[in-house]
Amino acid sequence: MKGKTMKSPTKVIAIAAAFATVASLAACSGGGASDGKIELRVATFPPGADQAAYDAFATQEAQFEKKYPNIDIIGVEYEWEGPTFTAQLAAGSLPDVFTVPFTDAKTLLENGQLADVTEEIEKLGYADKFNPIILDAVKDADGHLFGFPRQAYALGLQYNRDLFEQAGLDPNSPPTTWDEVREYAKQIAEKTGKAGYATMTQNNTGGWQLTAQAASRGGFLQSDDGTTSTIANDGVKATLQFFHDLRWEDHSMGDNFLLDWGSINQEFAAGNIGMYTSGSDLYTALVRDFSLDPAVYGLTTIPMEDGGKVLGGGDIAVLPPSLDDATKDAAVKWVDWYYMQKLLNEDAAAADAKALADSGQAVGTPVLPVLDQATYEESLTWIEPYVNVPREQMQGFIDHIFEQTPVGEPKSHTQEIYALLDPVVQAVLTDENADIDALLAQADTDAQALLG
Amino acid sequence: MTALDERRASPQRPRPRPAAVPAPRRRDRSLRGWVRRGGLVTLLFAAPMIFVFTVYSWWPILQSLWMSFQKTNLITYQFVGLDNFVNVLTDPVLGRAVVNTLYFALLALIFGFPLPIFMAVLMSEVKRLKGFYSALAYLPVVVPPVVAILLWQFFYKASPTGVFNTVLGWVGIPPQPWIQDAVQAMPSLVLEATWAGAGGSIIIYLAALLSVPPELYDAAEVDGASIWHKIWHVTLPQLRGVIFIMLILQVIATAQVFLEPFLFTGGGPNNSTVTVLLLIYRYAFENSLGGKYGEATALSVMLALFLAAASFLYFKATQKWSTD
Amino acid sequence: MSTTLKVPRPRGRRPAESREPDVERGILSLHDRRRRPVRAGQVASHVFLMVGLVVVGLGPLLWLGKAAISTTQDTIQQPFALWPSGIDWANLEQAWVEVEVGKYFFNTIALAAGQWVIGLIVATTGAYVLSILRPAYARVLEAAVLATLFVPSVVLLVPLFITVARPAFGPSLLNTFLGVWLPTAANAFNIIVVKRFFDSLPREVFEAARTDGAGPVRMFVSLVLPMSKPIVGVVSVFIIIASLKDYLWPKLVLPDPAVQPLGVRLPNIQSQTELDVTLAALAISTIIPVVLFLLFQRVFLRGAGLGGAVKG
Repeated sequence: MKGKTMKSPTKVIAIAAAFATVASLAACSGGGASDGKIELRVATFPPGADQAAYDAFATQEAQFEKKYPNIDIIGVEYEWEGPTFTAQLAAGSLPDVFTVPFTDAKTLLENGQLADVTEEIEKLGYADKFNPIILDAVKDADGHLFGFPRQAYALGLQYNRDLFEQAGLDPNSPPTTWDEVREYAKQIAEKTGKAGYATMTQNNTGGWQLTAQAASRGGFLQSDDGTTSTIANDGVKATLQFFHDLRWEDHSMGDNFLLDWGSINQEFAAGNIGMYTSGSDLYTALVRDFSLDPAVYGLTTIPMEDGGKVLGGGDIAVLPPSLDDATKDAAVKWVDWYYMQKLLNEDAAAADAKALADSGQAVGTPVLPVLDQATYEESLTWIEPYVNVPREQMQGFIDHIFEQTPVGEPKSHTQEIYALLDPVVQAVLTDENADIDALLAQADTDAQALLG
Repeated sequence: MTALDERRASPQRPRPRPAAVPAPRRRDRSLRGWVRRGGLVTLLFAAPMIFVFTVYSWWPILQSLWMSFQKTNLITYQFVGLDNFVNVLTDPVLGRAVVNTLYFALLALIFGFPLPIFMAVLMSEVKRLKGFYSALAYLPVVVPPVVAILLWQFFYKASPTGVFNTVLGWVGIPPQPWIQDAVQAMPSLVLEATWAGAGGSIIIYLAALLSVPPELYDAAEVDGASIWHKIWHVTLPQLRGVIFIMLILQVIATAQVFLEPFLFTGGGPNNSTVTVLLLIYRYAFENSLGGKYGEATALSVMLALFLAAASFLYFKATQKWSTD
Repeated sequence: MSTTLKVPRPRGRRPAESREPDVERGILSLHDRRRRPVRAGQVASHVFLMVGLVVVGLGPLLWLGKAAISTTQDTIQQPFALWPSGIDWANLEQAWVEVEVGKYFFNTIALAAGQWVIGLIVATTGAYVLSILRPAYARVLEAAVLATLFVPSVVLLVPLFITVARPAFGPSLLNTFLGVWLPTAANAFNIIVVKRFFDSLPREVFEAARTDGAGPVRMFVSLVLPMSKPIVGVVSVFIIIASLKDYLWPKLVLPDPAVQPLGVRLPNIQSQTELDVTLAALAISTIIPVVLFLLFQRVFLRGAGLGGAVKG
């Protein structure tokens, strides 16, 4: 037996809660006080995570409930699900604590869809410890804060060490220029028959990765104030030309050009992709959700050219605006304990790392600091004994990421602009004669129409 | 919203004269008389139907007309006149979506319309094993569409070892990109949709063929008609009522094609499989930060009006031929 | 209507000669059938139908069954080879346990069962009112129900979603099975099918029952329901199959994965699970409808043909 048949208590509760909801029709969002306890429904991880993740969560849940006996934590499987977010929010069926990506936080808070937590953050005393660039993502025009940035990442170049070896490449010296990436990709494709290089193309991720790779070539999609579209720039053109050359001249991009975040990870975990760009913290998900063999994983920085910058991102722990005071208070306690203290406090960091490590969860995946860099580097020493990810396989990234200049995603209408760019990337990859200039001119016009 | 629901909840103004229940005695126009004649019980029987239709059909239909003039985040509503319609009509993707949808409908007619008629005629004439053939033909229809699409997505793998490409390899045809190519994507979708749907049509035609009066064939034979002659001059004319209906139903169904482009290609490559319904879905549900519910309903209403007009014209045009 | 549909009768024990006249004639006459080219054509048709339908209708499912117990590498590299590296039964267990297909399978069944019960209640009581009780408002009601047949379901998508997500009264039905059960019960087609069947029942029986003092409830329970077994079977098939096939609506109403049915969950499973396990999950989710079909083949095919008759 694999020992995975047993459901963790959290899981059982989550399922039981789901059925209770159905039976009683009472889909009211948390906040209900039963036997004097405050029930707090908190987001955990996407469904399909392995048992170890549930075990780790159960341990942490028990620790928290021991510390705050009047709060009853209910873990809810959660996945940032665009399509029904607005409706779930309006219907009050979201967890009391959940996470959203940086890109969406601004619009949500401007729409009044997130709770104001300025006071709470100030009371907790770490308002000034955040990296100001990152804190900007949760701040409104009046300086109010609407969430806790909890994790940030920079985009990196993910690669498969096994395919590198099969192609006669040294997995310990990954490519450092885009030309090398092309060369390596070609070699992988020729020697192994797999895709040497791949890029996402669907569900707005095509635009996202195009933005990232163009940024590394010094091309940005919008003016700094987000009012003018600058899509038709040399960096974007060079990126698309790069795709075109790999696809149609080198034939090194495989044969699947309808990939999004999930499916590209799946293909990578199945050993079909040599290199692609994605978040630096991807390792956790690759191993937990996509069953990647850790030994084949490699991560390095994206090559920088012509004043290129590295695109970053991250997510934010937020609360819906509808919570009553007691629940909100409990929610803030949870956010502070579960997400923030491990960044700030040695004991908490060690306890968190231990709980994760004990149940075989990834500890030590490279991220970008959400707090100041000094705190971040100190925190790495706290968790050192528990680090279980092969950081030596990520050395290329760890050694060079702080030499790169981070840049945020485009400010206005981010997702809509990405959506405009998906077809452009797809066109280049599926039509040998696609006219890059014409495609970009059209996308630029459409984007400018959105920006108004 | 509430007004209508309350109207439903309160008993209808009593109407004395239940058509089929003969009043035992002199008609009593009072509420008590109505109850005694079974009016209340009747209403209770009708209640489930009235409830689900009011709340989940009639009301949303009315609401969609209203919503197409609103801008909403589901909490507040704001009247915006014709803005939603203007936004939809000026969306650069709309043209693609309409053309693609028409293309899908056309391909579906070419691939999938004559075939079931042909199969049904063949199956009904071979007599033996008809039940077995019907079952085989119907099997794809019972496979959940999501399963069918995910399975075919794998069949369509563009590598030379993909399932379909392997088959093509047997007969010396080079591997095809299938859904990975803007030109081939739509026909590939239609092929799967035809596979999934043809069985249902075959069964319907088989049933219709049973109702062709045998005397007509006898009569045709007396006139010395050949087999082809009988098919052309007896069978098909006798089926035309069903054929006309199936045709319009297929057009209505293909005008609302969603699942295939959504799951196979997400509308790609390069918008080559974006359909009207996929666009409606994108308006309403794809943007995580507040759907464009107004635009989505505006486009739905336009699609519905178009379909209603098309069916009306179609019925007008075919009335002469479909009935004797 | 169902009564006019002829279900193929079992044949076999009869002597060879008496079989011919028993076969209803179609395009081909007895005389035609005796002609040699026609006989050859018959044989050719059989070969064509048999090979064509087995390959096209059954082939993909058999392939899926094979792939469900093959290793990923076998499936990718030699899609048509029979288990070159052995049968991988573990796929099924992995799909059931780790991917929790079992949980989603249960949701699928709960959804279908609820839709079936509620759908049948609405269809039978509604048809009873429209066909037999016929109160004064029956005509208006019937017209209003019929009218919804002409409104494409897409028009309802957004407003219906909002109605379910934020009802005018009561709690939100998002993430509850009722959010799927109730809206799908508003199905005019099923009501019309049942009503047409009720229309064909002999009126005298009801008149007699009324004369004996039977009320509407008695009549429904002890007369109408027992007589309507065939149509209830057909409508049950409609409802259950529709439920198993539905995707968009449950996807929207049940965003919480814990309550999603297998069909909705599969695309996500597919993007996070190794291919062999995904295919095993696909195979598992095909089993219920296929088994139901094989068990109740006649009802299915009668229902499918009836669909055309009603539409016609």
